[in-house]
Amino acid sequence: MKPAKFDYYRPYSVPEAIEVLSSHPDSKVLAGGQSLIPLMNMRLATPAALVDISRIEGLSGIDTNGGLRLGATTRQSDVLGNAVIQQRWPLITSAVVHVGHPATRARGTFGGSIAHADPAAELSAVMLVLDASFGVQGPAGSRSVSAEGFFLGHYTTELAEDELLVEIKIPDISGWYWGFGEIVRRHGDYALAGVAASLRADEAGLVTDARIALFAVAHRPVRSSAAEARLVGTRLGDPAAADEAGRVALDGVEVADDSFVSATYRREAAASVVKRVVREAATNSRSGTDGQ
Amino acid sequence: MQRVEDPRLLAGRGRFVDDVAFPGMLHAAFVRSPHAHARIVSVDASAALAVDGVLAVYTAKDVDWLAPLVSSGPMRDDVCVQSRTPLAASTARHVGDPVAVVVARSPYLAEDGRDLVDVEWDALPPVVDPLQALEPDSPLVDEELGTNNICHAEQSAGDVDAAFADADYVTSIRFHSGRSTAAPIEGRGVVAEYEDRGGGRYNIYSSTQMPHLLRMFIAPVLGVPAGRVTIKAPDVGGAFGLKCTVFPEDIVIPAVARLSGHPVKWIEDRWENLAAGVHSKDMVCTMEIAAKADGTMTAFRGRFVTDSGAYSSVPFSPLVDSQVAGVYLSSCYDVQNVAYSIDNPLTNKCQIGAVRGVGWVPGQLAREVAIDRLARTMGKDPVELRLQNMIGPEVYTTPFGQTYDGGSYAAALEQARDAVDYAEFRQRQLRAREDGRYLGVGFSPFVEPTGWASASAAAGGMPIPFFDTASVTVETDGSVTVTTGLHSDGQGHETTLAQVTADELGVAMDSVRIVYGDTDSSVFGMGTYASRSAVLGFGSIRESAGQVRDRLTRIAASLLEADPSDIDLVDGVARVKGVPDKSVPLQQIALFGYFGGTARPDDIQRDGLTATAGYDPGETYANGCAAAVVEVDVETGLVTIEQLAAVEDCGVVLNPTIVKGQVAGAIANGIGIALLEELAYEDNGEFISGNLINYLYPSTTEVPSLTLHSIETPSAVSAGGVKGVGEAGTIAAPAAIVNAITDALSPFGITIEKTPVTPEYLRQLLRAADHDRNKLVGA
Repeated sequence: MKPAKFDYYRPYSVPEAIEVLSSHPDSKVLAGGQSLIPLMNMRLATPAALVDISRIEGLSGIDTNGGLRLGATTRQSDVLGNAVIQQRWPLITSAVVHVGHPATRARGTFGGSIAHADPAAELSAVMLVLDASFGVQGPAGSRSVSAEGFFLGHYTTELAEDELLVEIKIPDISGWYWGFGEIVRRHGDYALAGVAASLRADEAGLVTDARIALFAVAHRPVRSSAAEARLVGTRLGDPAAADEAGRVALDGVEVADDSFVSATYRREAAASVVKRVVREAATNSRSGTDGQ
Repeated sequence: MQRVEDPRLLAGRGRFVDDVAFPGMLHAAFVRSPHAHARIVSVDASAALAVDGVLAVYTAKDVDWLAPLVSSGPMRDDVCVQSRTPLAASTARHVGDPVAVVVARSPYLAEDGRDLVDVEWDALPPVVDPLQALEPDSPLVDEELGTNNICHAEQSAGDVDAAFADADYVTSIRFHSGRSTAAPIEGRGVVAEYEDRGGGRYNIYSSTQMPHLLRMFIAPVLGVPAGRVTIKAPDVGGAFGLKCTVFPEDIVIPAVARLSGHPVKWIEDRWENLAAGVHSKDMVCTMEIAAKADGTMTAFRGRFVTDSGAYSSVPFSPLVDSQVAGVYLSSCYDVQNVAYSIDNPLTNKCQIGAVRGVGWVPGQLAREVAIDRLARTMGKDPVELRLQNMIGPEVYTTPFGQTYDGGSYAAALEQARDAVDYAEFRQRQLRAREDGRYLGVGFSPFVEPTGWASASAAAGGMPIPFFDTASVTVETDGSVTVTTGLHSDGQGHETTLAQVTADELGVAMDSVRIVYGDTDSSVFGMGTYASRSAVLGFGSIRESAGQVRDRLTRIAASLLEADPSDIDLVDGVARVKGVPDKSVPLQQIALFGYFGGTARPDDIQRDGLTATAGYDPGETYANGCAAAVVEVDVETGLVTIEQLAAVEDCGVVLNPTIVKGQVAGAIANGIGIALLEELAYEDNGEFISGNLINYLYPSTTEVPSLTLHSIETPSAVSAGGVKGVGEAGTIAAPAAIVNAITDALSPFGITIEKTPVTPEYLRQLLRAADHDRNKLVGA
């Protein structure tokens, strides 16, 4: 449970961090360390160098003017405790509650969870349904990557080795209904299946937009176009539509299985949690101030 | 009464093995087998030795001067004696089996070296299934033994065959109690130094529950008399029976301290703890009940096969599971025809040891799950069926000859029933089903053999003689020092044993110091496990303190010119009864006791104010009942424990806070066994539960607020009427939970045949049930 030898760098600016990442091919970014350090302790990860970005000024912070901007190294506990996020982006707050435990959230960063890209990560799925975009910097400059294009597979993202996730931008979601749920054996564990959902309805109460993202079911978080298609045009809160969305949610998705959890079980659990979350979404007061 | 050790432990001022450091100390890391079963062809340490800071790599050859570690089991002729070398010499027998040890200047470098030791393996066919291991054509785990079965034994009382032949109902179940372990927060750890003088002596810090027994077992392996081994067990961060085992590492670390000429520290990591400590409760059980039409249970028949792992553990062997599942089969029921058989096949897995609840847990699961099945078959209420067959509260001898010292068997079940509002619950259950919600209730009355000593061990089929002492000294200033061979690894002995001493001597509790955990300064004792320390500690201290009290009383009587029978010792003062102003403080009595010259009675001139006494009580048994109310989500298979009620009768309670803590902690343990904890092996013997992502134990979010009740039936046998309490909840809770789940799902007619009851497993059962129902509809 002791890591192998590694070099440690502590840059104080983003360009400096990128410089170190570029010049050290087998390096890893260290943010909150809540996933990376255990992997290193178990010697499942043996990076040659760590680039500790936690002291870079301006890389953390919460800005709720208009849309939401989160600096990549913002602690999960700071997001959880932010009253404006809780009011305007309650989906984020209710998901962060399920990310680890108070002790890990105190160190773990919002951007770290996203860049780590564990397929079971709650926040990745939330980013998909909130249509987030990620500010990325590399040697060639800055670019923006949509959440949809970011998650490629197990611990694999669109980020190049020498690129750094610097910020997360989430649009204002006034008018959206939302839901979140996961099937988990113990609170705070890796889910067996989970879903984040956001829905919008017209004045007649018919669903006009549906975004359903599942996590912990495949090698990356996935939007369920099948479930979304079943919901659009149905009455918000229609239990039969929710059942149907659950039933088809994993159609076309290659579902993961392992020695402890079968794909069959994950499909059943996903169907159940999608159904419940979609039903519950209809009763979650719409986000933002217009509904207050 | 608050626990006196808590300020130290909660403020981070505890001193654990990993806090021990010596100048020049080296750090060890073990090279362990990645294979379930493999021959060691060669070990090449050259790359490891090339690492700057790695000082040595030792294999079995380097420690071939050690005697083998021998498991003779519980002193029975029918138990195979198995020997092992502390490092595997030619064959590794489970994933995690130690084959070499790397010694380096830091734990980091030691692990660097470990990863570079190149072992060439020749994989052998693994033995994974315990029933197949019993087949004559099975490969052998240990060729030397010539068999895989450490012990086959059978016992019966009454006429079991006749009872089954005459039965109106026969219920038969198969139940596989899952493989779990203790997983204490602090794993194992050893620091050893060797002094090369006077023939050599070892000074060993170990995270153990039994310092004296550890010394007794390892000294002959190290080849020195016990007097040249000191074991110090400082604060121990949880043990739960895991640490009443003698492990290879306990021998290898002192041995390499000698070879390297440096003190050596080894602190176990979590993977090692899960893969190579001890496992527990992995038992394939079959249980049959014969009953008459009126509900009278007439016979129990059980078969208990313990998946014993690769080694017969020292000192208790796998019989600590199978044997005790069998021999206490009748529990609190008046069933006179009882039979069991046990088998203990070796497999290529981690060894089975004495973890909290031991084989009582699988035995309880098999019996109580079968009784619920019988109740459903007969259309009888499970509580009524149990009450109808329960023994009375008086002293009772079971068909296998255990003599219970009185208990509240029926009363505990009735109180548990009332604690969950049973009658009201049945109404609520029906209403919930109409809403598609599945609630269930389950009961699990139990008897726990406690205060393990010679008589109770023999009655349990583990005829090991026990010997425990306490030494009480009133110092010259009237303060009190007690030493004991018991150990505290969370139980709070510094509190309860001080309480007991203070009561006996009539002094303030904070004037009593309890010394334990060091073979140099504590009197001999067999250690703490098997819910024995309250009984043994109380008995041995009462006897030794009583002798000192008698001397104090006689001195006070002579100082106060009164008759000894008129002296009261209270609050550190001796008074003459009825004459309040005639008194003398204990400090003065103590001074006189040491320095009163020939004015003192002869025995006090000789013995001063120290007395050492042993205690070996008769059989004592706690009892109680757990009741669980659960809700099962049939879509996901998730189980929520809505209520867990426990009634505990551990005789006279010494400290209610500590008893509650023991019961609550044991129940949490039981919840883990029922729902979460699973040490899993693949079919090829690969171990896949080596971290706390896969090995789940309950945290505060999985343990509901507990409903705890207490009944006090004083033991008819033990000193002060005290019984033990350490394992009650662990024994009782799993069966209550499994019965509650089965009850919740009674509309589906499912049969739970194993623990843990995972969501995956419940969904399998529910899918099959749906399938069956659809077939019925289709027909």
